[in-house]
Amino acid sequence: MAGWLERAGLTVALAAMLAQPALGAAGGKAGDPARGGAITYAAAGGPGALDPHVAGSLVALEVIHHVFETLVAMDESYNARPMLAATVQVGDAARRFRFTLRPGLRFSTGATLTSADVLASFERYARVSTNVALLEDVVGYDVPDARTFVVRLASSNAMFLDMLKSPTYPLAIVPADQQERPGREVDVVGTGPFMLESWDKDSHLVLRRNPDYVADRSAAGPDGLAGRKTAYLDTVRYDFVAEPAARLAALQGGTADAVANLPPDFASRLGGRDDLATLRVFPYCQLLFVTHAGNGLTAQRLIRQAIQAAVNVDDIIAASGQPARRNASLVYPGSPYHTGDGAEAFYDRRNLDEARALLRQAGYKGEKLILQTNATYSYMRDAILVLAGQLREAGMNTEVQVVDWLTNLTSLRRGTGNWNVTSAGFCTQPLMGPQQWRAQIYADPHIRDLAGLDDAYRRLLASPEFAPRQAAWRRIETLVLGEAYFIKVADLGAVRAYNTRLHGMAPYFFQRFWNTWVN
Amino acid sequence: MYRGILMRLSQAVPVLLIFAVMVFMLMHLLPGDPALAIAGPEASAEAVEVIREQLGLNRPILVQLLEWFSHLAVGNFGESLMLKQSVVSAVVERLPVTLSLSLVSLVITLPAGILLGVVAAYWRSSWIDASVMVVALLGVSLPGFWVGLLSVLFFSVHLGWFPPSGYAPLDETGLVAWLASLIQPAVVLALFQIGFLARITRSAMLDVLDQDFIRTARAKGVDEWTTLAKHAFRNTLIPVVTVLGITLSLLIGGSVVIEQVFALPGIGRLIVQGIMNRDYPLVQGTMLLFGFAFVVINILVDIIYTLVDPRVRYG
Repeated sequence: MAGWLERAGLTVALAAMLAQPALGAAGGKAGDPARGGAITYAAAGGPGALDPHVAGSLVALEVIHHVFETLVAMDESYNARPMLAATVQVGDAARRFRFTLRPGLRFSTGATLTSADVLASFERYARVSTNVALLEDVVGYDVPDARTFVVRLASSNAMFLDMLKSPTYPLAIVPADQQERPGREVDVVGTGPFMLESWDKDSHLVLRRNPDYVADRSAAGPDGLAGRKTAYLDTVRYDFVAEPAARLAALQGGTADAVANLPPDFASRLGGRDDLATLRVFPYCQLLFVTHAGNGLTAQRLIRQAIQAAVNVDDIIAASGQPARRNASLVYPGSPYHTGDGAEAFYDRRNLDEARALLRQAGYKGEKLILQTNATYSYMRDAILVLAGQLREAGMNTEVQVVDWLTNLTSLRRGTGNWNVTSAGFCTQPLMGPQQWRAQIYADPHIRDLAGLDDAYRRLLASPEFAPRQAAWRRIETLVLGEAYFIKVADLGAVRAYNTRLHGMAPYFFQRFWNTWVN
Repeated sequence: MYRGILMRLSQAVPVLLIFAVMVFMLMHLLPGDPALAIAGPEASAEAVEVIREQLGLNRPILVQLLEWFSHLAVGNFGESLMLKQSVVSAVVERLPVTLSLSLVSLVITLPAGILLGVVAAYWRSSWIDASVMVVALLGVSLPGFWVGLLSVLFFSVHLGWFPPSGYAPLDETGLVAWLASLIQPAVVLALFQIGFLARITRSAMLDVLDQDFIRTARAKGVDEWTTLAKHAFRNTLIPVVTVLGITLSLLIGGSVVIEQVFALPGIGRLIVQGIMNRDYPLVQGTMLLFGFAFVVINILVDIIYTLVDPRVRYG
């Protein structure tokens, strides 16, 4: 356990799972890192706003994590680790969290960061953030001095630091004068290794090295979104290129040095070019089928379980064309919460006889089962097409609806539309673990009312020891997967590519440009 | 003429009103929640509901429509939900890109389309005519996004002649860089229009070449070039000018796809992003501005008629 966590009669589960990556883990012979140079990154899209407190889109977050920092951030293994905080003391049975700031922290404007900025940021977050639930249990804050900030909770929450590390809707520290700014209207001023130089919405933005950046010298090197970060590059230009083929062409044509996620088969087009390399990020997201427990056929547990019984994971993985691995759990192998043993019973059943028997038991008479997917993410569409075939083989009458991404997402989150099963990709939830799944699980009113779920989540958050929390998560997984609300398919990876003149490129969920350099 | 223009503009008011209602209704009929697009896929249901409330999306649709019209009446096209920027300023910022693309494309389309049409008509039923018509047919048949991607692969990746994506502003990067960033998407965009215009020009030219006055000109010994350029071509212009208005409209419309393929930050891309995110004010306002622009283009075409054919009177 890292020394930053000063125990106060409580064990906080923040297990380090994997070794930290070495500097310049990829990119061939790197030479010594040198300051200077400008690169262009072809991103998949542009942000609508750069307000960390309301940022939920990956394209915005990729930029935001270069500019803003949080008290606690996720490390290379996606565990919580201090960033702006030097230490965190947890006391009063996980109801009191005392953060001591690193000395000398400054914003990119040159202004000193104090606990007053932290207080203002927490208060703004509670007012404008779409993730306001993070602070719903807070009863007060204390600011005893310029470097100390205390959060007091109404009830024990042993996972509070894990929740604070969330890279989506990050509770980044912004200057105190931003406190009254409405959501999406904050000045882009943070403490990160880069600062915003210019932003032409829909076209590109440019980040410049922050000359006032104060690195965490207690760390040996960069560690996920935390650790000792060094900005070598003078500027990073983000070009917003929605078309994957155009991104690839930009890399091949030399107008981009690195490109965001590409379809895996595109990587083969880089063959024969010594100056180009791929970066395989694994894990990246999880592919699941979600059943609509409030609509028609799938309101019946037996029908949902029949669908689950018919699923053949290997065929779906093969059709999706994505780098993928089998995993029954809703968290990744290596996570302390990984409970493959409990989830295995509901995974890759490929038992058509059982599916038919369940359908008979449910009194199924060939009614139509609507499978909804979207055309934006081809792997989701391909997965649902294969599932449709598997369900037909089990005797179900299926119809596939292909809609756009926002319609699909709205159907899933609001339970609207006439659909029974949809394919979905979940990215930060499995990375962050049980607490991050909560909003998604509770989004569906039919799952929310599941007996035992509230109790399991209560134990997960309140138990001071890790073992009962792990047991609570196993219970949650068993409930959600056993009732076939979620049907797990696979863990997926992502493929990015870059020019080998760029060094220090390491695979990570977010594309990072600190500790990368050009010769 | 001025009375005629005013009359046409006043006739356009009900057209634009009906158009505005249609755009509003179509946008709101689309499934998909803009509040969810703003909040992000991981926001809690409560947080999404708060945004819906803030945006007024929970109110009856008729109330929202009337509010939009009341704002339009005072020249307020609304504020984009995603960009947090007024619709007019968002459009004005991106206008130079779309206008540049459309104009460069028009400059390519006009001579190429008309020339091909005239050539095909003059050598009718020959291999030249057949070749031109095959090219024209390909131009109108091949989807722009597909041709665009192939073009990028060949001209940008293999030959390295043009940048594969992005826009170089004229005032910041100079004429050469500006043209280099536009020439490829402009040609792709022009392909459809060239085919279209060539077919129309050929058809109009064939009609004219069969007229008595052409036969008379030839009979009295006027040289072939003068017959073609002075007598035939000028009489071909009426249908060509009619098509010109449509062509300009199609070029602006076609930019929606081409801007997406070539990552050009123009109005077409703005609309695509707006539709994808259900940014109601942005899409409604932009479409209405587009509608107004088309009305103006058609009035201009009517005025050009009077210049091409003195028999036509306006007003």
